[in-house]
Amino acid sequence: MTVTDTVTETPTTAGVLAALDAESFPRGILDEGSKREIRRATLTAVCVPGYQVPFGSREMPVARGWGSGGLQLTLGLLGGHDTVKVIDQGDDDGVNATNLRRLIVDSEHCAQTQDTRDCSVVQSRHRIPEEPLIDDQVLVLQVPVAEPLRGVQKSVSECARMHAEADYSMIWVSLYEDLVRNGMITKTTGYPVLVNGRYVMVTTPIPRWDVPRLNNAASLTLFGAGREKRIFAVPPYTRVEPLTFDDVPFEVEGDTAQRCARCGSSDTFLVEAPGGRTACSDIEWCTRTLDGDVDTRNHAERSPLRFLPDPARRVRAATAVKRRGPAELEARPVPAHADGWTLAVRGVGKVHGPGGADAVPGTGPGTGTAISPRTGAVVAAWDVGFDVAPGEALGLIGESGSGKSTVLRCLVGEETATAGSMFLTTVGGGDTDVFGLDAAERRALRVDTVGLVHQNPADGLTMKVSAGGNIAERLTAAGWRNYHEIRDRAAYLLEKVEVPLERMDDPVHTFSGGMRQRVQIAKALATDPRVLLLDEPTTGLDASVAAGVLDLLRKLLAERDTAAVVVSHDFAVIEALTDRCLVMNVGRVVESGLTDQLFQDPHHPYTQRLVAAARR
Amino acid sequence: MISPILSVRALRKTFTLHTIDGRTVTSLHGVDLDVAEGEHVALAGPSGAGKSSLLRCVHRSYLPDGGTVTLRTDDGPVELTSLPDREMARLRGRELGYVSQFLSAPPRTGPMDVVAAAGRRRGMSRSDARDAAADSLRRLALDEALWDVDCSVLSGGERQRVNIAAGTVNPPRLLLLDEPVSALDPANRERALELIASLSAQGVAVLAVFHDLDAMRRLASRVIRFSEGRIAQQGSAFDVLGAAA
Repeated sequence: MTVTDTVTETPTTAGVLAALDAESFPRGILDEGSKREIRRATLTAVCVPGYQVPFGSREMPVARGWGSGGLQLTLGLLGGHDTVKVIDQGDDDGVNATNLRRLIVDSEHCAQTQDTRDCSVVQSRHRIPEEPLIDDQVLVLQVPVAEPLRGVQKSVSECARMHAEADYSMIWVSLYEDLVRNGMITKTTGYPVLVNGRYVMVTTPIPRWDVPRLNNAASLTLFGAGREKRIFAVPPYTRVEPLTFDDVPFEVEGDTAQRCARCGSSDTFLVEAPGGRTACSDIEWCTRTLDGDVDTRNHAERSPLRFLPDPARRVRAATAVKRRGPAELEARPVPAHADGWTLAVRGVGKVHGPGGADAVPGTGPGTGTAISPRTGAVVAAWDVGFDVAPGEALGLIGESGSGKSTVLRCLVGEETATAGSMFLTTVGGGDTDVFGLDAAERRALRVDTVGLVHQNPADGLTMKVSAGGNIAERLTAAGWRNYHEIRDRAAYLLEKVEVPLERMDDPVHTFSGGMRQRVQIAKALATDPRVLLLDEPTTGLDASVAAGVLDLLRKLLAERDTAAVVVSHDFAVIEALTDRCLVMNVGRVVESGLTDQLFQDPHHPYTQRLVAAARR
Repeated sequence: MISPILSVRALRKTFTLHTIDGRTVTSLHGVDLDVAEGEHVALAGPSGAGKSSLLRCVHRSYLPDGGTVTLRTDDGPVELTSLPDREMARLRGRELGYVSQFLSAPPRTGPMDVVAAAGRRRGMSRSDARDAAADSLRRLALDEALWDVDCSVLSGGERQRVNIAAGTVNPPRLLLLDEPVSALDPANRERALELIASLSAQGVAVLAVFHDLDAMRRLASRVIRFSEGRIAQQGSAFDVLGAAA
């Protein structure tokens, strides 16, 4: 056999690439892997309406904030048979809309249109098209800010926690504050809605006008936030309810006399046009109306005209709902256990560091140290037990570092106790160990069963929110949804704590220290908790202001059946507020008894020193 | 025989002073004592004999080391030395009053509020308590202009009258008096003693410490003389104190 006579032609590099190109998917902005990521997130978003699904947001050839989230959704969604429409501020011909449309069509080789009736996918900023969308149409919205809680909570994980627990009281507070400041809701875009009765979602970027049009819409609506890397959705025929107080009707922008200066429509969302006139925001609709190419009846039926501002309706809503009296809560009986207590604490201990209970031997008043000789752990408190009856105030006294605040923090749930148990008559009839509940249940307890007054008002108040709003926070968390009822209750409480009512709507950071503490007390009492925990309530205040707050607390405790625990290093505070008290030293209770007996006849050496020091 | 309102048996009280090298001071060495309904028992003896200690042990401001203190209530006899703190705190307001030399009013409250609050603790309605308080303050001739003034600005005598009024309004079953009239001028002292005397007629059991013998002679149905933490002698005022000089 001789050397082969056929010589194969050596393939050129260009030839190989051309052959590969011919077999591959058409090149677009996004590769197939990225599209899959978007589709996965989109499917999850459709399954859990209103829930923000995180996704691997890509860099887009548009600046972030110019619709990169919406663009990714559209690109991930489109196939060759789709027809896309892009609008910006209701206009198909704006620079942004034109550029995005060209980008999409070039990338995906799909058809484009300006007629909503012909398209399968609408990408939009600011508006839902006036033409009612039908089954199988998809609306993609470019979202600037996806997180409804972002304004009130910086931490992403905390926001996630609040969504998980449906803890939306801060959103209600922002509505409350808007009403207080402006007399009506002024929030135009980003109005919060409850989707399918579960998740609160923001409707950025659409105006309030379009919010009712999302409710039970036939089309699928997708929200894409490129910067925040979130996708969320409202599937077809899903309930979308704007958050409103029972007695403050939801309203859209505009008024009953509104009319487009160009086409004469009175049932569309109007924006200001040059010359002080108003015109349709949706230019396609406006033009087709002039051409007579619209189904005006169908459109009018779906327009949110019944939500147009109507002073008479506001008054009706405010008076129609029967309001609770502001003091009605106080009639609530405080249940007591068969043994007489409302709150019982048994053997509570807290060890910081290794060893747990094994670290305890060798610490305590006997050795004078809280540091475990065996493990080096700090035994902050050990074997602390007491119970408190309705209408009774128990004191916890001891010098700094004696463990009294640790015990209080364990009771509130700010710290996890190493040992012991806590019982409340309102939880499982007093047979359920509260320490065994999960974090969400513990937090729920703090809404209506356990009130806490911190030493520092900044820990218990939201400083930029008004005094009334701070009280509203606790009330809305407890399910109050009547604006006037909340106002009444807040005013009633502020009067109780002697904060002048004309300061009710001022932000708390404008208040003095004593006033802040009073507001904090009012907030702690908002839902009339059965148990009130006071942590050094007067310590940060100067003598005269502290005296005023002390008088107030004494009065408040005397007139209600709350079980109170007062933590203080100050004998005067304990003497003024409590009948019984425990003395703590190096993490242990060294003595307990009637407050006046401990003061006049202290037994333990430590108590005697404490009393001697107080008398000096 | 009707059981007494107050019955003290073998009551002992010793203080351990940890701040002063742990020394011990005994103020009561086993005291037995009964006070019947409507009876006024006066305690006599020199300073440091244990009179005030006894009152405070009954009131539980001091925690006795041994013995029993039994109070007859509507719910039967209650032993006070072993009573849980919470029960004791409740019982104090209702069943036993304590009037000391010094007014222990909450800061920044006025005489009217102090006295009315005492009445309310003993089960009166808000309006009844205010009426009774006004009546009581008037009997002690406290100027009406002072009724809503902060107690801390009152004179010693005025404060003491507020204290007496608070202790005696809607009187409790047992009243402990620790030198209640020591700071009063003669006219006011007279009014206060009259008020105290009227309590016995209402059936209140009174256990009192007076420093002046006149008051004891006038009020006491029985006088007990203390000496070094023990009962030295008891009997009628005449037997124990002798005739007025």
